[in-house]
Amino acid sequence: MAQDVTRWRNIGISAHIDSGKTTLTERILFYCKRIHRMHEVKGKDGVGATMDSMELEKERGITISSAATNVSWLDHRINIIDTPGHVDFTIEVERALRVLDGAILVLCSVGGVQSQTATVDRQLKRYQVPCLAFINKLDRVGADPFKVRAQIEEKLGRKAVLLQIPIGLEDELRGIIDLISMEAVYFDGPQGEIIRREAIPASLQLDAQRWHEAMVDAISLYSDELTEALLAGHEPESLLIEAVRKGTISQSITPVLMGSAYKNKGIQPLLDAVVRFLPHPGEVVHWAYSAHEPDRRIQLVADAKADPVAFAFKLEDGPFGQLTHLRVYQGRIRRGDELYNPRALRMFRVGRLVKMHADSMEDIEEAQAGDIAALFGVECQSGDTFSKPGHPVLMSNIHVPEPVISLAIFPSDTKSSHNLAKALQRFTKEDPTFRSFIDPESKQTIIQGMGELHLDVYIERMKREYQVILETGQPQVAYRESISRRADFDYVHKKQTGGAGQFGRVIGRLEPLTEKVYEFVNAVKGGRIPREYIPACDKGFQAALKKGRLLGFPVVGVRVVLTDGQFHPVDSSDLAFQAAAQGAFWQAYEKAAPLILEPIMKVSVEGPAEFAGPILASINKRRGTIVSSAEDGMFIRVEAEVPLSEMFGYSTILRSITQGKGEFTMEFLKYDRVPTFMAERLIAQGQRSPER
Amino acid sequence: MIREELIKKSPLRTFEASVHGMTAAGKLGVVAAPKGVGKTACLVQLAIDRLLQQKAIIHVSYASRVDYILTWYEDIYQELARSLGLEFDRDIYEEVVKHRVVMNFSQEGMRTDHVLPSLEAMMVHGKPGVETVIVDGYNFIDSPAQDLQKFKDFAWRMRKEVWISASLRGEEPLFDERGRPRELERYLEAIDILVTLRYHDRRVWLHVVKDMDYPPAGELGISLDPATLLMARL
Repeated sequence: MAQDVTRWRNIGISAHIDSGKTTLTERILFYCKRIHRMHEVKGKDGVGATMDSMELEKERGITISSAATNVSWLDHRINIIDTPGHVDFTIEVERALRVLDGAILVLCSVGGVQSQTATVDRQLKRYQVPCLAFINKLDRVGADPFKVRAQIEEKLGRKAVLLQIPIGLEDELRGIIDLISMEAVYFDGPQGEIIRREAIPASLQLDAQRWHEAMVDAISLYSDELTEALLAGHEPESLLIEAVRKGTISQSITPVLMGSAYKNKGIQPLLDAVVRFLPHPGEVVHWAYSAHEPDRRIQLVADAKADPVAFAFKLEDGPFGQLTHLRVYQGRIRRGDELYNPRALRMFRVGRLVKMHADSMEDIEEAQAGDIAALFGVECQSGDTFSKPGHPVLMSNIHVPEPVISLAIFPSDTKSSHNLAKALQRFTKEDPTFRSFIDPESKQTIIQGMGELHLDVYIERMKREYQVILETGQPQVAYRESISRRADFDYVHKKQTGGAGQFGRVIGRLEPLTEKVYEFVNAVKGGRIPREYIPACDKGFQAALKKGRLLGFPVVGVRVVLTDGQFHPVDSSDLAFQAAAQGAFWQAYEKAAPLILEPIMKVSVEGPAEFAGPILASINKRRGTIVSSAEDGMFIRVEAEVPLSEMFGYSTILRSITQGKGEFTMEFLKYDRVPTFMAERLIAQGQRSPER
Repeated sequence: MIREELIKKSPLRTFEASVHGMTAAGKLGVVAAPKGVGKTACLVQLAIDRLLQQKAIIHVSYASRVDYILTWYEDIYQELARSLGLEFDRDIYEEVVKHRVVMNFSQEGMRTDHVLPSLEAMMVHGKPGVETVIVDGYNFIDSPAQDLQKFKDFAWRMRKEVWISASLRGEEPLFDERGRPRELERYLEAIDILVTLRYHDRRVWLHVVKDMDYPPAGELGISLDPATLLMARL
């Protein structure tokens, strides 16, 4: 039987690392009666928060894998995806956001908007996810939710509307004032589970009235009914709620709530807000593309009766086989149903279907449009779409960035080698930004990822979860080669070794290309190279691109224009033209002024303003280009572009120059030319590509 | 090629020929006009001119966000390229702005005593080789009179060219009989070059009203195109 989709919410909890989102999730699970005891993130009680399902996460106090769970609040079902806070794991955040209808953006009331908050905020905007802001840690020394509200407006460009103000701050924090109902809310009982609503304390009446008016002023734009009621001198609570809801769903406003998860204050009103203000799956428009006609866009409807469409957003390998987390966008998926995966061109039958709860799961019979569930035993990749056989559709894929760093790993013995293979198989399937392969020349196992910490975490997991004893080499940057000027080629491949010979001649030029990796232009006239051999030429050039001659890294940014050639009626073949193309490429490559490109990272460093000098110097020393700096009196945030090769070990350096108070994030920005002196050094060192 | 063309054809060459020693390091220039007349456009053109000459600059702003300043540079550069009939080439643009650092001080009422040490830290540690500093959006009219003197002392001590915008918002008449803004009277001592932007004949015109101790050149025949805000010689 179809369920009422208006009573569902699919939300994510996104935030800066250490802003307390795991504690917040833990409290949500507790108040929704999903768990019966609360733990702390850092595992002071030796247990660790429920959402941190991996041992390593418990130890580091951070969330690495998104764990999905569902809770029930005010007769609504809320699916929660807990998302990681570090940029190195951004793919996780992106995958989670892709399937969400709403989000809670958690901010620290002391630290406010930090660079990672801005990254997460950009992602929320990219996927057009409506969100609520929750200012956490009001109990901390230096808590200032009003400053954080202003930062949300200034730094994130959101129209932040306070729906609550605090009653006391720091160790005086007693509760919050609900600016919609205009009541004081207190959280009694040993775990804040008893809500007491009272009149606003006299000392806060004026403040509450002022912020209430500011809120009404901001939200009245989104409801004509509310404006009419206001003009008539009324202010019905239901219309205030409706106006906030409309403003939130249209992403015109960001309602701001607050509290302290650690002190068990403000969580239940936040859950009320999720139900009241964030959209249900039927209110969000999603699109798919026909697998037969990729240009035809199809709007999906959150209707259980329509043809099923589901999207696999995360894979995990567990003790019972591959677990595929999916969101159903249209129709319903039942145990025993047949579904089609258009990417793999494969049909499969839905076996075990479950709902996830951090580490545990419950079996369900069906999942319908709008729901998040998981399937067992389906061979697929992250980003696959499942649809009804005969009606294949594809949902746009999640953008997967190319890895920028690689590391050689050496298992110490046969057992470790065996376990390593298992670990790599699992991790590479779960995380498309993590890759591994065996270098054909050195026979070493190479792993690739998005940053040092990204690889560190996987190495730790290999050691802990798979008992792999291993050593690692030096991190290696994924350089690229390219050309900087036009060069002509005229190459004859000729071989006569008895029997049929080989003959192919190709004439043309290589040109630098900025916007693409490779382009092949066939400008051969008059059948000088017969049409059937042109694809072989293209293939030959592409084969040559795989490994440059400077360092052996792939060559990018090349246009090949084939203008002329020659063939032999007997001796020419596909193979001969492939060989001719490869020879021609190397002939011209030397003349095309080849150069080395390196990954440049967008780096954001934050720290107390008193350390501005050392922070700036640390970037300058690393061949960084400072793009901007922003100071707000206490903190400085420096945005810079720095070559990845210079960023190894930066976290240690930054800690030491800022007495542990600085932090940084980085993400891949672009490839840029390595300065000549560096290129010479790299070539002299015989830096060699570990890439395929 | 684009660099040379843009440098050669810039109206700033006329400007430089009309004032004494403006590009000399250690001098303080002020561009004064009411809000919305084109001060930022002028200063950004001056900054781009220096960047095209491969000189590093620092743009100090007091805005709430940095991105709108970055947009100013891109817009003005695009207009400059278009004025020469050239296509906008992002690679060239990025190469040009590589030597620019934007320093933003977002807190209301950030004191000059705080700004100058940060600026110095950036010049010494973060971006050595800076020759020009642009300060836009600083409300020095409401700040103590000695603040501008501190910027002048800084320019002199660091041997840099410093340009500051001044937003005039007093009552009419804004200018005295010599064309000097009345609101800036108490700061004149600290200013080496004072340029005003005044609207007449449907365009905004640049006037040099103070030129160290030399007789100022007055109206320069340079105006801002009302559509693009680009400086042009008429």
